[in-house]
Amino acid sequence: MIRTPLRPLARILLARQRGENPDAIERENLRLRHEAMRDRARVRAESRLLLLGVFFFLAFSAIGTRMGVMAASEPQEPRVASSGADIVAQRADIVDRNGRILATNLVTHSLYAQPHQMVDPKRAADRLVELFPDLNHETLVRQFTDPERRFVWVKRRLSPEQVQAVHDIGDPGLLFGPREMRLYPNGRLAAHILGGASFGREGVHSAEIIGVAGIERAYEDYLRDPANAGDPLYTSIDLTVQAAAREVLEGGMRLMNAKGATSILLDVHTGEVVSMVSLPDFDPNTRPQPLTAGDASDSPLFNRAVQGVYELGSTFKIFAAAQAIDEGLVGPATRIDTKGPMTWGRYRIRDFRNYGPELSVTDIMVKSSNIGTARLAMMIGGKRQQEFLRRLGFLDPLSVELTEAPGARPLLPRQWSDISTMTISYGHGLSASPLHLAAGYATMVNGGTLVRPTLLRQDKPQQGERVIKETTSAAIRDMLRQVVTRGTASFGDVPGYAVGGKTGTADKARPQGGYYKDRVIATFASVFPAHDPRYVLILTLDEPQETSGPEPRRTAGWTAVPVAAEMIRRTAPLLGLRPVIEPRAEDALTLVRN
Amino acid sequence: MSYLEYTVKTVPTGLRKVLYINWALVVLLTAIASVGILMLYSVSGGRMEVWAEPQMERFALGLMAMFTVAFVPIWFWRNMAGLAFAVSLVLLLAVEFVGTVGMGAQRWIDLGFMRLQPSELTKITLVMILAAYYDWLDIKKTSRPLWVLIPVVLTLIPVALVLRQPDLGTALLLLFGGGVMMFLAGVHILYFIVVVALGVGLVAAVFMSRDTPWQLLKDYQFRRIDTFLDPSSDPLGAGYHISQAKIALGSGGWSGRGFMQGTQSRLNFLPEKHTDFIFTTLAEEFGFVGAASLLALYVALIVFTIVTALSNRDRFSSLLTLGIAATLFFYFSINTAMVMGLAPVVGVPLPLVSYGGSAMLVLMLAYGLVQSAHIHRARGRT
Repeated sequence: MIRTPLRPLARILLARQRGENPDAIERENLRLRHEAMRDRARVRAESRLLLLGVFFFLAFSAIGTRMGVMAASEPQEPRVASSGADIVAQRADIVDRNGRILATNLVTHSLYAQPHQMVDPKRAADRLVELFPDLNHETLVRQFTDPERRFVWVKRRLSPEQVQAVHDIGDPGLLFGPREMRLYPNGRLAAHILGGASFGREGVHSAEIIGVAGIERAYEDYLRDPANAGDPLYTSIDLTVQAAAREVLEGGMRLMNAKGATSILLDVHTGEVVSMVSLPDFDPNTRPQPLTAGDASDSPLFNRAVQGVYELGSTFKIFAAAQAIDEGLVGPATRIDTKGPMTWGRYRIRDFRNYGPELSVTDIMVKSSNIGTARLAMMIGGKRQQEFLRRLGFLDPLSVELTEAPGARPLLPRQWSDISTMTISYGHGLSASPLHLAAGYATMVNGGTLVRPTLLRQDKPQQGERVIKETTSAAIRDMLRQVVTRGTASFGDVPGYAVGGKTGTADKARPQGGYYKDRVIATFASVFPAHDPRYVLILTLDEPQETSGPEPRRTAGWTAVPVAAEMIRRTAPLLGLRPVIEPRAEDALTLVRN
Repeated sequence: MSYLEYTVKTVPTGLRKVLYINWALVVLLTAIASVGILMLYSVSGGRMEVWAEPQMERFALGLMAMFTVAFVPIWFWRNMAGLAFAVSLVLLLAVEFVGTVGMGAQRWIDLGFMRLQPSELTKITLVMILAAYYDWLDIKKTSRPLWVLIPVVLTLIPVALVLRQPDLGTALLLLFGGGVMMFLAGVHILYFIVVVALGVGLVAAVFMSRDTPWQLLKDYQFRRIDTFLDPSSDPLGAGYHISQAKIALGSGGWSGRGFMQGTQSRLNFLPEKHTDFIFTTLAEEFGFVGAASLLALYVALIVFTIVTALSNRDRFSSLLTLGIAATLFFYFSINTAMVMGLAPVVGVPLPLVSYGGSAMLVLMLAYGLVQSAHIHRARGRT
């Protein structure tokens, strides 16, 4: 851009030569320059204005055109039933191993209000409170008369009678939406396994059902997957057995004055949990609120079979015996020193009674000698014991299909010292859930292959890794049988089903450390039929007290064992086991003599 | 520097000023406000006292404020521009601390007799200060980076404060207003190209940020964009406003259902029927004819405003008047575009028609400034 020079030197010099005043030239120059600048600014401003004008015009035309288009269009109603239409309510049924329904869906109605469509909000509130006393009258009136509110949930679930009653109020602002809800027709029967469900995203016309606990939560994705619509989830539970087991356990718990009880019936080959009961229980249809204060294990929601980690006492001894035999350290008849009390450092280990200077390994199990088991454990050594228990799964949370399972971590000693090795061998110092124990026993007696418990129906036996030899497993079965025929679990014999098992009575640990003197966890770990075990039954009573004698008796032999025996008597026929009369030992002897 | 210097001598004085008022603008303003009062009467179901009467009182108050402002010489207002802007910024800050929360946002200061929305006031003071700035600034410096930066900062401060309330609609209006002022003042076109390019990039970034932890808009703002792009996706949820408004407009047809016969608004289907969505009532009851008439009134108002700006040789006056015209235009076009589903729902009232005190009063004050500029404009030859 060529500008007029501010001081046109040539012209000024010329003017000076002529004797004129050069200021006039300079002023003229400045004026011209300013004018040029102003013109440019004006041109620019005008073009800018023009651009803005064009933009305004275009915008106005667009709005006008749109107005015309919309005025010409037919008024379209919004699609009906849109709120929540995208919510997929469907949820697959849960059934037992024979296809009997454990959890299904039921169409009910929800009740909501649109206050601005109400004719007489106050009357509607009055009538609603008459029908549903749990509603708060003041809240309803406030919600119905609030001009800002366009929507109020009144009730999430209504029965058909209630729907009719609300309908009869006749207020157009009270509206119903269809809604599926989860129904557990068997009530409390498998409460802890099923867990429960509640509503997730809620729309007027549909609501999401989401599992909140148990297998409902663990199999959330499967149950809600539209791809397997109609396919129910087959669990391993047998509803009939579960019902019988729950009935026996409830009666036994009351009889033994226990505050809680649990039983697990596990198929030793497939790992299927045929029945699992934890008492006290709840109705999953009206799942109670979790406790906000106190011990979570006091809540009926607490699944003792899986979440409860207890020191399971003498039932653990069988693992020490099995390992010692399997590693060739002893045989069933090897005699072990059981002189008591046994001192180790500053600790002393006692037996319930003095069993004399020495016992065979079988007798240690039969009489449940702590000292003998501790000696076996010392022969094995801490490291190998830890390895063995790890392979049996006692050191890790269970992988069973419940949301609660991963949280139930076994409690281990901080340091696996010699004394820990000894106490763990007879079931103290290591806490695990009853389901852990069931899996451990199943592995011991099924021929020695690892079993992982499962809640889903299986078609074939698990081919787990081998943990102990088949011969060891046979020896263990024999020992367990002898515990019942001539040992601590003598009340456990059920004619025809050859029950074998091991009792365990563990003092309960105080929360602040140490043990209670008068509170125990009594466990009976049983297998039947002992010569070819099909099932493991773990039955645990929390703080039992048998009061028929002069003094209260708490040992498992007096409490858990009779209940377990009754349970086996009731459930074994349901499981399809034929009673078999065992060949008696005397007959065999007679035959040999011949 | 200005288009031309003042010639104060020919400016009317005293009551003679009344003769020099731009009466066409007054008539147009009154006509639009009357439409608004009529519609408020209709949406309240034929009752005066609900919305129509307070609105009339406010309009009367606004007219008085307009004349008062108009009689004060425009150079006084130019000198006051900085102060006015500072005051509105202080009020915006005050909203942060003592403001009243309404509709999920903190927008009002309760003054006792009325609830003031400082963000509304800022729309005018921002235009004022930018006009004063470009009046003061040597025209040669207009496009120099430093001198461009100052108005940008002046615009962005209130925008940031308003966004914090949060009020996306007003923030956008402020941004557009500031941008138009700079555009009209002659800032080099390259700046605008760069800003628009950055803006497009930012929009892309905002959408990329969705569902990430650092997402830049609130969920409800994203949903509004979603429903703008596809309003039928959620007609009972986030798209409710739009679909109901569309039904109203569609059912109005060409000539409408007749005064007080609109079902959509009368039966409470429409949210915000007396404020942001009042246009739908008009469209339903008077149809395309009514809506187009209101559109024509606005077009006339804006054209008349621009004409007075063009006839004014004072740079401050013409820039101010143009800025106010542009603000009015943005108000109107964003509101109608939003109601008709051409723009996302951002919460901008229909100027002079929607029920609301601050917006009405501020717009009337702005037109007081326009009138003042008109009365006190330079006359005759220089």
